[in-house]
Amino acid sequence: MSEKSAKKSTELSNKQRMALSFQEMSLLPPEERVKNFEEVPIGYSLEEAIAEAQRCIQCKKPDCVDGCPVGIDIPAFIKLIENGNMADAAKKIREKNFLPAACGRVCPQDKQCQAVCVVGKKKEPVDIGSLERYAADYERQHGTLELPEIPPATGKRIAIVGAGPAGLTCAYELRIRGHEVVVFEAFHRAGGVLVYGIPRFRLPMDIIDEDIKFLEKIGVKFVYNMIIGKILSLDDLLEQEGFDAVFVASGAGLPKMLDIPGVNANGVYSANEYLTRIYLMQADKFPKYSTPLYQGKKVAVIGAGNTAMDVLRTAKRLGADTTCYYRRSRGEAPARTEELKHAEQEFLNWRWLANPVEFIVDEDNFVKQIKCEKMELSDPDTSGRRKPLPTGEFFTEDADTVVLSLGCDVNPMIPATDKGIKTNKWGIIIVDEESCQTTKRGVFAGGDAITGGATVILAMGQAKTAAKAIDRYVRG
Amino acid sequence: MKKAIENIINGLKSEDEVSVSVALDEIEQLSGLTDDDKIALASALALLFYRDHVGMSEMISLANRAEKQITRFGSVVIPFLIDELVSADAESCAHLGRAIAVNGANAIAPLLDVWNRKRTDQYALINLTQALAYFRIPEVLQALPEILVAAESDNYQLSSNAINAMGKLVVRIDPNLFDEALRQQMFDISFARLSDSRSLVRMQAARTLGKLMEKGLLTNTQKERLQTAYCAITGKDGSNDWDDAYIVRHEAKCYLPLLKTTPTSVTHYQQSFKILSKRELCPNTFHYVIEAPLIARKLQAGQFIIIRPHELSERIPLSICGWDREEGHIEVVIMSVGKTTLQMNEMGVGDCFKDIVGPLGERSHVRHYRGTCVVIGGGFGTGAIIPTARDLKALGSRVIGVIGARSKELLIMVDELKAACDEVILTTNDGSAGIQGFVTNALEQIIKEEKRVSHVLAIGPVPMMQAVCELTRPIGIETMVSLNALMVDGTGMCGACRISIDGKTKFACFHGPDFDGHKVDFDQLTKRQKMFVAEEKQALETL
Ligand SMILES: Cc1cc2nc3c(=O)[nH]c(=O)nc-3n(C[C@H](O)[C@H](O)[C@H](O)COP(=O)(O)OP(=O)(O)OC[C@H]3O[C@@H](n4cnc5c(N)ncnc54)[C@H](O)[C@@H]3O)c2cc1C
Ligand SMILES: Cc1cc2nc3c(=O)[nH]c(=O)nc-3n(C[C@H](O)[C@H](O)[C@H](O)COP(=O)(O)OP(=O)(O)OC[C@H]3O[C@@H](n4cnc5c(N)ncnc54)[C@H](O)[C@@H]3O)c2cc1C
Ligand code: SF4
Ligand code: FES
Repeated sequence: MSEKSAKKSTELSNKQRMALSFQEMSLLPPEERVKNFEEVPIGYSLEEAIAEAQRCIQCKKPDCVDGCPVGIDIPAFIKLIENGNMADAAKKIREKNFLPAACGRVCPQDKQCQAVCVVGKKKEPVDIGSLERYAADYERQHGTLELPEIPPATGKRIAIVGAGPAGLTCAYELRIRGHEVVVFEAFHRAGGVLVYGIPRFRLPMDIIDEDIKFLEKIGVKFVYNMIIGKILSLDDLLEQEGFDAVFVASGAGLPKMLDIPGVNANGVYSANEYLTRIYLMQADKFPKYSTPLYQGKKVAVIGAGNTAMDVLRTAKRLGADTTCYYRRSRGEAPARTEELKHAEQEFLNWRWLANPVEFIVDEDNFVKQIKCEKMELSDPDTSGRRKPLPTGEFFTEDADTVVLSLGCDVNPMIPATDKGIKTNKWGIIIVDEESCQTTKRGVFAGGDAITGGATVILAMGQAKTAAKAIDRYVRG
Repeated sequence: MKKAIENIINGLKSEDEVSVSVALDEIEQLSGLTDDDKIALASALALLFYRDHVGMSEMISLANRAEKQITRFGSVVIPFLIDELVSADAESCAHLGRAIAVNGANAIAPLLDVWNRKRTDQYALINLTQALAYFRIPEVLQALPEILVAAESDNYQLSSNAINAMGKLVVRIDPNLFDEALRQQMFDISFARLSDSRSLVRMQAARTLGKLMEKGLLTNTQKERLQTAYCAITGKDGSNDWDDAYIVRHEAKCYLPLLKTTPTSVTHYQQSFKILSKRELCPNTFHYVIEAPLIARKLQAGQFIIIRPHELSERIPLSICGWDREEGHIEVVIMSVGKTTLQMNEMGVGDCFKDIVGPLGERSHVRHYRGTCVVIGGGFGTGAIIPTARDLKALGSRVIGVIGARSKELLIMVDELKAACDEVILTTNDGSAGIQGFVTNALEQIIKEEKRVSHVLAIGPVPMMQAVCELTRPIGIETMVSLNALMVDGTGMCGACRISIDGKTKFACFHGPDFDGHKVDFDQLTKRQKMFVAEEKQALETL
């Protein structure tokens, strides 16, 4: 199969390639998938993957590579897939990104590599994300992943705070440079938002577990239940524990709340609480798992970002009549296009231009209704953005559970417990952009901790920058 | 037939490479060979091993072909080969060794036999050990005791060969076949050789130790010793005094990173969370001492921890009522109120909690007060006030403790509190001990009797804390309460524990747990604690 297709494809001209049809990844049918937590996109078959790979015209100056925050050699790995050389395709991706299975699934490709893909100018862009996922899944399923060679130990020790994508990436990058790396994680398991935020139906749990196992195999050490700032301070790590540098990747864990009546009602959750109860603590399997989740029949989700989509779709899977409330219109929804599309197939209700002003509660403080003001969009202002404006018209709907998905501010634990770490007025840890060095000597930071809630791949990109700087720093 | 064989033998002995090659081809055609024929042919073939091959690259492949032919003759030629082996030069020794080892188990006994006879002939032993290194069958372990003795020989070539053989066997044979005593012996002997005066021996020792480690045959202590040794060899120990032989350093350098990956240093951060003692205070309420050295080192009065007792549990916040920094212990009081606390109280001494995180929350409000401080505890809160009472007293304040319960049997931690306070007053609803009534009755009395009350801390059920606050509010006494809101993470990332303080939303776990009681929305707190009543009941039914 592989040789034949390789021959065939070398004969393809760009014109022929452009004429090939887009391989849309199959999804579980909406009726079925809203009843379980199975992964929604089914994944390419071998034939589909090769057919999609053939659509790539192998640009000499590929824009997609510049569009990828970590600069994966996209045409090269796609060529390898086209030639049926899946293991090498995965290896190629891994040169730049060691979480390909996760990134293939959760990266906003529509705003990155695929947005600038030349094929996309005339037709659907090459589905880079799905191909990335295919190569990574092949590697995992066929066990073709080889452990990288670790150079002789440098004798330098680096502490990583937080086991989310940023922490994991930095751990990997420093380990393969021969340093000793210890990751301190506050929770009882690693993965950060990948485990306690992003739902299983988008990112199955075993994928992250594999990635963690991989890191353990190359000698990265993990310690759980360790809240840095509390059990050990940054100074403890640098002085008493003998670490040569610290990388802070504690994420954006502080949920934004609304300041409206009823926000502290029973049944009103932050998305963090809601998703953590379900995905980290497995409240969906209550009472086998003891963590409870109170969820009524009508769930209102406030916001329209990725997190909101995740909450909406989770609530639906747990059997609720679920509605999205957002103060702007659909066009401004910050969610990934694909996520929004998938959510829209799942029998949800949408209230665009609806701004919650009150959560109406009963005498026991349980939320019963949500009151919204209707909004309209202004003309674009000087910054070119259309602002939502109040209309003075209100409406009220039943809701016995509300989930606030308004994004997160930076986790304040580290700056709050170490005066040497300076933040800006939004609580974001200040770093030097070139090196990710914080205002404290020997301490670097990356990921959501230095940007506020962003994306997995950006967090990874910063972690790589930081790893280079840390490597330089500890070598003196 | 005889003639043909003679011709071949002559061919093999020829100086001309082509004739040798032809003869080798012809051997392959032969069949029906007698044992004598085989031995005669083997000895002619073996001569090829000794031929000088410098500048005659063809000879190398001819020797290899000869080796292959010999292996075809099977075990009849073993005695002959061993005879050759004992006096062979280094090059031929390898050929002969391999040709012998192909025979597997059949060759072991004759080899050991010769070993016995040649015990004093060190040259023979050098070659015999080399041959043993080529075996891939478990039976070769019979020869291991001899190899171990040889490894300790003063003859450096013998010992380096023996150590090398050891390493080869470790790689070629199922590691499970080496029992503990054997592993220890192999390690000790090789390790001792790291300080040999010959670099060849040191190199072989470093390599074999590396293989032992790679195959998982070393204990953690052995690995630690090896790591130290490798660091010294490579100068990584900071002494700048590395082994002067590159070959030795090179081995150490290759294996050192593998050693580093073994989790020796993380154990330093692993806490067992083992229950060291358990004591019933009153029905359904127990006092525990738990091993958690890192947490113990950092705890401060007023902070709390979160326990997840087992894999399926929820996370349970608990106040701390004491700790021992030296011994690495923490103390908690657990009162059974629902599924998880019931499960926890079924655990006993020696059991381990799955996870404990902490210390969480901020330290209690402690400073020196001119007037009297009153610390008030009810239910599990009785334990929680002790560390703060101790701190207040240590800062020179007069501290009065108050404990309230329904009746005498439910009064807990009285002696411990007495040790931390200047005075302790008990109250019971039924009058079975101390003042009859509520903690507020005791507080009223204290306020009346003391010159001045500057500070009150109350920890316990919400109605109790609320009543205390209502009492102190009109007379303006600073009153702190510790809020036991429902929690998930306890680090400020979920908002489950949020509560209105003076109209502003605060997170009890992160901003608290202690707050100015006069600003707390107790009504909201009470109602929020009831968020999961239906689920809690359902959970309890699964027990
Ligand atoms: C519901 C949801 C959906 C999302 N969907 C997408 C998506 O589809 N695509 C995408 O690209 N991005 C998505 N994101 C964003 C993305 O997950 C984050 O940008 C990314 O995880 C940030 O990585 P990080 O490593 O900086 O932080 P995190 O993933 O937040 O990890 C931080 C880690 O640090 C630990 N920690 C915090 N404080 C301490 C401490 N003091 N000591 C020790 N450990 C500590 C935390 O427990 C956590 O494990 C989503 C986010 C959410 C919440
Ligand atoms: C900061 C803090 C410190 C605490 N310290 C201690 C302590 O030192 N010792 C101790 O025994 N308990 C303490 N608690 C309370 C303890 O966490 C709860 O009793 C426990 O979570 C109940 O779990 P469960 O599954 O057994 O019962 P559940 O089934 O969850 O609840 C059973 C009943 O207990 C009540 N309850 C549940 N959670 C709480 C809570 N957080 N506070 C008060 N009542 C609650 C519920 O209303 C319900 O009626 C503390 C709580 C907090 C927040
Ligand atoms: S990692 Fe993300 S941005 Fe980079 S190529 Fe893959 S999908 Fe595109
Ligand atoms: S328990 Fe989650 S924020 Fe306090």
